[in-house]
Amino acid sequence: MQMQLGDAGEGILNVLLVGRLDTPGVDSIETPLTAHLVPRGARAIVDLSQVAFLGSGGIRMFITIARALGRKGGKLVLYGAQPLVAEVLQTTSLNDIVPIRADATAAAAVARG
Amino acid sequence: MQPRRVEIRFPGTHEGFAQAFDELRQALDREALDAAARYDCELIFEEIVDNIVSHGAVGDRAPDVHVTLEHGGDSIVLTFDDDGVLFDPRGLPDPVPAKSLQEAKIGGFGLMLVRHAASSLDYVRTSEGRNRLTVKVRRRPGPGGTSVSPQPP
Repeated sequence: MQMQLGDAGEGILNVLLVGRLDTPGVDSIETPLTAHLVPRGARAIVDLSQVAFLGSGGIRMFITIARALGRKGGKLVLYGAQPLVAEVLQTTSLNDIVPIRADATAAAAVARG
Repeated sequence: MQPRRVEIRFPGTHEGFAQAFDELRQALDREALDAAARYDCELIFEEIVDNIVSHGAVGDRAPDVHVTLEHGGDSIVLTFDDDGVLFDPRGLPDPVPAKSLQEAKIGGFGLMLVRHAASSLDYVRTSEGRNRLTVKVRRRPGPGGTSVSPQPP
């Protein structure tokens, strides 16, 4: 699992995740992702277009980070999920509590608030 | 089509899990599955085995896990057999959808995803004291399965 950070403008961080968010993938990415986002209370948009697999560990990770960011005045928005990954997001109703958008432009608009 | 059967046996540890998942994926590479069926097989394996590894140990002893994949025609069946702590998932409820991020629980999604990916889920505690969970993978119409777009909150 790999992570690439970029600037989405207006103080918003773009995070590209590449790989599989299965148990080993979450184990490898959760600590560095949390460390990059939470202490600074980041407003972050997360690009899921190159995530080939998402299981319940990834759902748990996104809830945990989004909650921690919310306490610090930050925001987490997901976007670009492939159809089968998007189906997992929908099945778990994650989209009820964490904003999920189709593309970076729409995600950044939510992150800007 | 002649049914094909793949058996994977491994210790219920993180290392055993990782090696077995690689074996499963190699086995799935040999099957002519559409993308959705392949994803569902991997999702069911991930969630069930992760649960066995995380909660199935009896004292310090990791469970012995035996997974069987049977594929014939339109039917894909995964059977998980382990000698860990008794665990019958059939009666467990799905998490209640959270009204807010702060109230959201972070557990219970694994079984929810398994139920979604399965057309049936059967459990027996065998006379040898093993859990045996049989999961029939759902099959969906279309070349790549369903296409689901993210919904705005």
